[in-house]
Amino acid sequence: MRLRCFALVLITGLLSAQTEVRRAVVLPSYKDLKFAPLPPLQVPTPTELTLANGMRVLLLEDHELPLVSGAALIRAGNLFDPADKRGLAGLTGEILRSGGTKDKTGDQLDEALENVAASVESDIGETSGTLSFSCLKENTDQVLGIFRDLLTSPEFRQDKVDLAKTQMASEISRRNDDAGGVAEREFVNTVYGRNTPYGWQTEYADIENIQRDDLVNFYKRYYFPANIMLEIYGDFSAAQMKNKLEQLFGSWTYTQPPVFAFPKVRETPAPGVFLATKSDVTQTFFHVGHLGGELRDKDYPALEVAAEILGGGFSSRLFRNVRTAHGWAYNIGAGWGAQYDHPGIFQISGSTQSVHTVDTLKAVRDELDKIRSSEVTDQELQTAKDTVLNSFVFHFDQPSKTLNRLLVYQYYGYPKDFIFQYQKAIAAVTKADILRVAQEYFRPQDLTYVAVGNPAEFGTPLTALGMNVQPIDLTIPEPKKENASLNRRP
Amino acid sequence: MKTTRISLTVLSLFPALLAAQSVQDFEKRITEFTLANGLHFVVFERHEAPVVSFHSYVNAGSVDDPSGETGIAHMFEHMAFKGTETIGTKNYGLERQAMDEVEHIYDRYDAERNKGLAADPKKLEDLNQQLKAAMDKANTYVVPNAYPQLIEENGGVGLNAGTSEDSTDYFYNFPKNRLELWFLLESQRFYDPVFREFYKERDVVREERRMRVESSPQGMLAEALLATAFAAHPYRNMPGGWASDIENFRLPEAIEFYKKYYVPSNITIGIAGDVDPKECRKLADKYFSILPAGPTPYGPRTVEPGQKGEKRVQVESPAQPFMAIAYKRPYQNDHDDPVFDVLGEILAGERTGLLYTELVRDKKISLGAFAEPSFPGGKYPNLFLFFLVPNRGHSVEENEQACYQIIEHLKTDKVTEETLNRIKAKMRASVIRRLDSNSGMAQALTSYYVNYGDWRKLFTSIDDINKVTADDVQRVANQYLIPEGRTVAYTVSPAARRGKTAEGENQ
Repeated sequence: MRLRCFALVLITGLLSAQTEVRRAVVLPSYKDLKFAPLPPLQVPTPTELTLANGMRVLLLEDHELPLVSGAALIRAGNLFDPADKRGLAGLTGEILRSGGTKDKTGDQLDEALENVAASVESDIGETSGTLSFSCLKENTDQVLGIFRDLLTSPEFRQDKVDLAKTQMASEISRRNDDAGGVAEREFVNTVYGRNTPYGWQTEYADIENIQRDDLVNFYKRYYFPANIMLEIYGDFSAAQMKNKLEQLFGSWTYTQPPVFAFPKVRETPAPGVFLATKSDVTQTFFHVGHLGGELRDKDYPALEVAAEILGGGFSSRLFRNVRTAHGWAYNIGAGWGAQYDHPGIFQISGSTQSVHTVDTLKAVRDELDKIRSSEVTDQELQTAKDTVLNSFVFHFDQPSKTLNRLLVYQYYGYPKDFIFQYQKAIAAVTKADILRVAQEYFRPQDLTYVAVGNPAEFGTPLTALGMNVQPIDLTIPEPKKENASLNRRP
Repeated sequence: MKTTRISLTVLSLFPALLAAQSVQDFEKRITEFTLANGLHFVVFERHEAPVVSFHSYVNAGSVDDPSGETGIAHMFEHMAFKGTETIGTKNYGLERQAMDEVEHIYDRYDAERNKGLAADPKKLEDLNQQLKAAMDKANTYVVPNAYPQLIEENGGVGLNAGTSEDSTDYFYNFPKNRLELWFLLESQRFYDPVFREFYKERDVVREERRMRVESSPQGMLAEALLATAFAAHPYRNMPGGWASDIENFRLPEAIEFYKKYYVPSNITIGIAGDVDPKECRKLADKYFSILPAGPTPYGPRTVEPGQKGEKRVQVESPAQPFMAIAYKRPYQNDHDDPVFDVLGEILAGERTGLLYTELVRDKKISLGAFAEPSFPGGKYPNLFLFFLVPNRGHSVEENEQACYQIIEHLKTDKVTEETLNRIKAKMRASVIRRLDSNSGMAQALTSYYVNYGDWRKLFTSIDDINKVTADDVQRVANQYLIPEGRTVAYTVSPAARRGKTAEGENQ
């Protein structure tokens, strides 16, 4: 064996010569290493309190660096957008900050904050609003004052409303430029349903419909103390901070009726192949999947492991098959995608050279069939579980992660020890569990396939997948009463 | 001695004593050592949590790609995940033979193909079939992705690597009890990497280019900008390389690159987290001292000649229009480097930068407007970059002119003290904020050590920034933001171009 090797070395030159010279060293094997157990997890305990006005607060001291940061979490979301004013929540979140307070314009706040290397930012996403701040310890009082003013009395100045509407319209005009972004958006919208709050998108007409009063009313409906949770983290004393917050927010006693639950997801599958054509790409960007579940579902841990084996990391089946063995894709992966309070989306996504579009989508379906038809191997199960369990400590590598987690658990009504329940459940998952949940929850007949690419270069047409192929129309509906000259491109 | 002086300077700069002290405390927890073979380590002790971040900074990037092999640095980065003689193989002896057979056939294929028009198509097809069969055979000995799998199942997170123009970086995080495993895996990856599945991975790398460049309007614009701005220096190539180079990579070429550039004196390693520096030193000796010392490689000899006039390039794209404007500037070790950083903040700092306040907020002609003081790398003379995204109904030409007006103001009017002080305060705070991330520190310590000769520059750069005056900003704007050194790249819609041509013909 050795001799044979050496003979070949002479033929192929450099490559093996170098290997041969170095052979003298016997390398230690990873198999001989023993790992001491990690020290017990240090889980910090935040101070929990409720202010006199009903605002719930979590405080966590960390004196390592002279920094203080925090965030208010507001029960609001773009799921509450009216059907003819989609985008209202997003605009409200943005202009809450840029529109300034009673005393200061947003521009004045920009300078005041940046002069001391601080920031206050606002946003309203799908199921929550946030107002966050970050500053050096020495500026805490000043920045908390601005934070309070923005939370309790934002001014929504008209010039910033106009600016934000212009910006949002420009974003709409650019929404089809990035093929990967188009694929993701069209997939999510198709799976949730385009005429539902989970699956619709903002159009020019919505923006025209939204006026300053709408923002003010949206703000007034959702931004009240009993509807807000506040977390503050960093270099301060919790006792002093508690007093400071009572002083700052004590007089803010504004109330509103409790906020409704978010709308339910419409659980109607949208099976089939959907194709959006873009001529300026050499890859097809694809998403394949269907509605999934919530984090609180009893089978969530087993589904996480199943998705990990299917398409989680370097060692997953999809990565090994589509990327390593075939070289068809750089980007390929799968995720169960559970959400806290509504069904998430199970999906397999990636991008592949146009000519391998059908090959890759077939491979995706084959892998899905395979994990539904036979048990995974012991090795696969062990790797997937080890990957989750051995990296568990990284959920606790910064005290702020514990604080954020508790805030989010409270917000969505999860038990405080949810992460430890999850850890235990992962350790208990068996091969039989994975086969069972794969058969029960991965539903090939319900799969939505969205592909964005250039079908002229596919070689094999998408119909080879044996399903009806429906085109996706990416045309952006023009506003009704727009100045026509605005649409002319230079 | 030096440390003391530096700490004092830092002390005098921070607005509050506390801030200064905490930076000083951090500095004391940073140590460094060099192995006999030249490999340098910087270790940052941080015992907040039982985790460690690792960062290997190889001082070679796409600028070091040989001609005709653009992208080979990136290709090697992918091969560094393929395992070793003991990790990733079912039988290394047989695998070695099978891999050598692949190369042997590939040599014969190349020899025939190189005959050009005289090449025998039948022979080529036959060799091609043999090649495929040989690759399939070699693959039967492979345990796919064994190396990254080992890292993942031991709790490694954030596993990745990146190839840029100036460097190649490998990084991930482990729980502290896997410290020795990292030393073992990282040293062996650089000691005896096996280039298995090379030609399949070449396809993956080609896909990466399709994704990042060919299917991305911004990627296409960046590629055109660099190829236009640089006539000779390798900054003209994107780090992923050109398609035809990638498609023809041969395994021995990647080996050559590895042998020349992955010598210990060209690698710096950063470790940040819950570690004992003495133990790190011991483990470094045990695992890394086997890497044979070699001559430190030198960067590309090509120096970009002076630019004599503006260059413009159009990229056809159905995407909505955008534009990049780039000015030639000196490299990162030039005495004006901190002035460019300040200039970048003046133009593009968060909500108060001039590009935002003037183009986005007040004139409302841009959806976004950004500046980058150093692009695409810093080791060699590079570009001060502007990136403009027009609002709907506004053109790139209008944005371009408005951008020039801002630049002209910087040349004629001095920036205010308030603006300068704001920028200095922000840059000071960013040094403190950076300390909060093990992985960020592991990266920064290696990068500052290699690029500025001392990791302390991470802290003392505040001194340099603090010395920048309004006069400096004005002087640098006048010296470098000039049409002669400018390259402008912008998109045009295919329809608009055809319209224009038709008009021209009618005249």
